[in-house]
Amino acid sequence: MQDGKVPELLALGDSGLLVRFARELTSEANAEAVAFAEQLHSHTVTGLLEIVPSLVSVFLRYDPAQVRFADLSGQVRLILSEQSNIALKVHETVTISVKFGGEEGPDLAKAAQLCGLGEAQFISAHNSSQLHVLATGFAPGFVYCGMHPAELSVPRRQQLHPQVPAGSILFAAGQTSITATPGPTGWHVIGRTEFRNFDPTQDPSTRLSAGDNIRFVETS
Amino acid sequence: MTQLQILSAAPMTTVQDSGRYGQLRHGIAASGPMDRSAWHRAGQMLEHPAASCIEFGAGRLEFLVEGERIHAAFTGAEFRLSINGIARNWETKIELNGGDRVEISPGGTGNFGLVRFDREIDVPLVLGSRATNLIAGLGGLAGRTLRAGDVLEIAHELSAAAGTAPFQTAGQANGPVRVIWGIHADMFGPKARRAFLECAFAVSPKLDRMGMRLLDSSGVFSDLQHLSLVSDVVVPGDVQILGDGTPIVLMRDHQPTGGYPRIATVVGPDLDRLAQMRPGTEVRFASISVENAHTIRRGEGGS
Repeated sequence: MQDGKVPELLALGDSGLLVRFARELTSEANAEAVAFAEQLHSHTVTGLLEIVPSLVSVFLRYDPAQVRFADLSGQVRLILSEQSNIALKVHETVTISVKFGGEEGPDLAKAAQLCGLGEAQFISAHNSSQLHVLATGFAPGFVYCGMHPAELSVPRRQQLHPQVPAGSILFAAGQTSITATPGPTGWHVIGRTEFRNFDPTQDPSTRLSAGDNIRFVETS
Repeated sequence: MTQLQILSAAPMTTVQDSGRYGQLRHGIAASGPMDRSAWHRAGQMLEHPAASCIEFGAGRLEFLVEGERIHAAFTGAEFRLSINGIARNWETKIELNGGDRVEISPGGTGNFGLVRFDREIDVPLVLGSRATNLIAGLGGLAGRTLRAGDVLEIAHELSAAAGTAPFQTAGQANGPVRVIWGIHADMFGPKARRAFLECAFAVSPKLDRMGMRLLDSSGVFSDLQHLSLVSDVVVPGDVQILGDGTPIVLMRDHQPTGGYPRIATVVGPDLDRLAQMRPGTEVRFASISVENAHTIRRGEGGS
């Protein structure tokens, strides 16, 4: 744990337990959440039905007929206290080819301007950030990637884009997101990729997991 | 083979089953029936209950049965049912034969009903389930609501005989909707938390499979400060307060994650009851502990 800070264990409804590592998004809290979710997968916990890592928390769905909330909380605290010496999952590096700007990225100029850069400089700076998947789950196949350095952190747009296509590359709050289904967004749309992180005919239906390394490259 | 020809279907008519669990990490809520206890009751009425069902909202549903005989169980809310123009009781189990015309229209109470058969509705299994998820646009018939002109094929094979699955108890018939304090309850402060339990809300007309907006005529949340939160997983029953102070209870087709503050989460059995409350119905909340919620689920009392 960071500075001996103990994560909060909260009930989320009558069959959910939320392990919250922080209230704010930091790289450290995100890494703790992702690592804890992976650590949990190596344990057998009675009544545990589903493990869902988010940006700074891990959600556990459980069967209340099989395990009491207090008992599950106790087991979670034990696992949290273990000095994890198991090798955590090795994360692959996935390269995402992006066509920046133009029709595919109508907000590229604005995003670059907010960073005080020209478009070409912005693309180069964006693609040189060391990014990994912070979280999944906002929509089918949607991934948040982060974190960019502070110079590449810009606020969201004032106006919502009512509908952006699948494969849109979104930029705001020091992060880049990739959509896999159409939907609205308040983020800057800076480009588009052919990569689709969602296929409901496959199980698992998504390819990227929290913790995976992401490298963006420009394509024409 | 049996086919159901949909002659008319109100906007909220979908194919459902017990739900597509285990997909939250991939951004897909489980969906499933708005009134799970009604789905369980229908299963208990049939000798060979299939998991899939047609769920309908408070509007008309008419369909024509073609082909082989099937058994159907109709449950949920209160609806008027007629077969070939002859009125039948509600809730009921009926044998349907080729040529039968089934007409369902809203009765005096409730929002959602369903019909389960003794054979599966033959739409593809998507990630292990036939449930329609309207946000993700998958499952059921092409991921959408049913409409006039649709034809549902019914599988030839009889479903397995009913197991001895534990019965999910219905919530108490009356009284406040029971909640467990939510993951952001502490951010609201004691005054707003007290007002949330003391004041009456009402069901608004904005009610669908994704969520139920509530009217807050006492202004419990009208001067809520905008809170900037990191997104977390959403579960059915979460009471989320939108930026303009509107409370919304997230239902079965909920968004998978959310960044608005959540003051409380409705317990499972009472979520079924809430889903059946019509616009204008007064809603009051009572907070209970997780342990108490589990006692209620086991049907050991708690009323």
